[in-house]
Amino acid sequence: MPITEAHAGRHYPPTAPYPVSATKIAEFAAALGDDNPAYQGPDAIAPPTFTAVVSAAAWESMFADAELDLALRRIVHGDQRFRYVRPVRVGDLITATLTIDKVRVRAGSEILTCSVRVQTTADEEICTTSSTFFHSREVAA
Amino acid sequence: MTAPGLPEVEVGTVLPPLAVTFTRERLVRYAGASTDFNPIHYSDHYAAQVGLPGVIAHGLLTMGVALRVVTDWVGDPAAVTTYFVRFTKPVVVPDTSDGVEVVFTATVVGIEGTVATVAIEASCAEVKVLGAARAEVELGGVR
Repeated sequence: MPITEAHAGRHYPPTAPYPVSATKIAEFAAALGDDNPAYQGPDAIAPPTFTAVVSAAAWESMFADAELDLALRRIVHGDQRFRYVRPVRVGDLITATLTIDKVRVRAGSEILTCSVRVQTTADEEICTTSSTFFHSREVAA
Repeated sequence: MTAPGLPEVEVGTVLPPLAVTFTRERLVRYAGASTDFNPIHYSDHYAAQVGLPGVIAHGLLTMGVALRVVTDWVGDPAAVTTYFVRFTKPVVVPDTSDGVEVVFTATVVGIEGTVATVAIEASCAEVKVLGAARAEVELGGVR
């Protein structure tokens, strides 16, 4: 059964705790081509959009939810918001918890709005994100 | 209007622009770094299946690169408190050695207390690829 507007409010358990390493932060900064010194070394902070790494795991649990019948390859990102309490730092153990806020069903497609709360395993809030995704149900001819 | 203690920043202040080349290599790097392996970001086959003109950059890659305009300017990335973008047009990345260039510009559009609101624009072949992009930056010091 595909996703419906009644799936608003559906939420998922926190993702597995993710240990943030200096190596991963440096890899992420390099992928952005960003040589800001704040992203280097044992006391690095992560680029603000780094929380996408754990958010992606949370989005994955939604995209893989059999009840919603979604396919990652038919998802297009519509918009994205981040609100930061503090940056991610080397040594943080972080989780992401996803809630589906709203579903709009159109002919052959759905618009999903979901939020992800990123926090440490010690319940320290890091950031909240809100995303809109467009999912096309029919394969283009 | 000027932020207290920051006479050089005012509404209308233009940040140094940034031009970044997006290649397939960059997309593959970002896929690995972000763990977003949606095949529309590396496979023409899957991109065509959803009606895209070709492989497109991850929205979050464009968003992450765009914020460099702000963090290069402010210095400390921890100063960014909020960030929003709408992905209005896809950045199509051809499988060529040159890839495609995306140009990022930004302007201070508001100051409230020590927080500056910066509007960011991103263009690819003179088409705007981000809409309503805004970052709020705490100019009053490190949190």
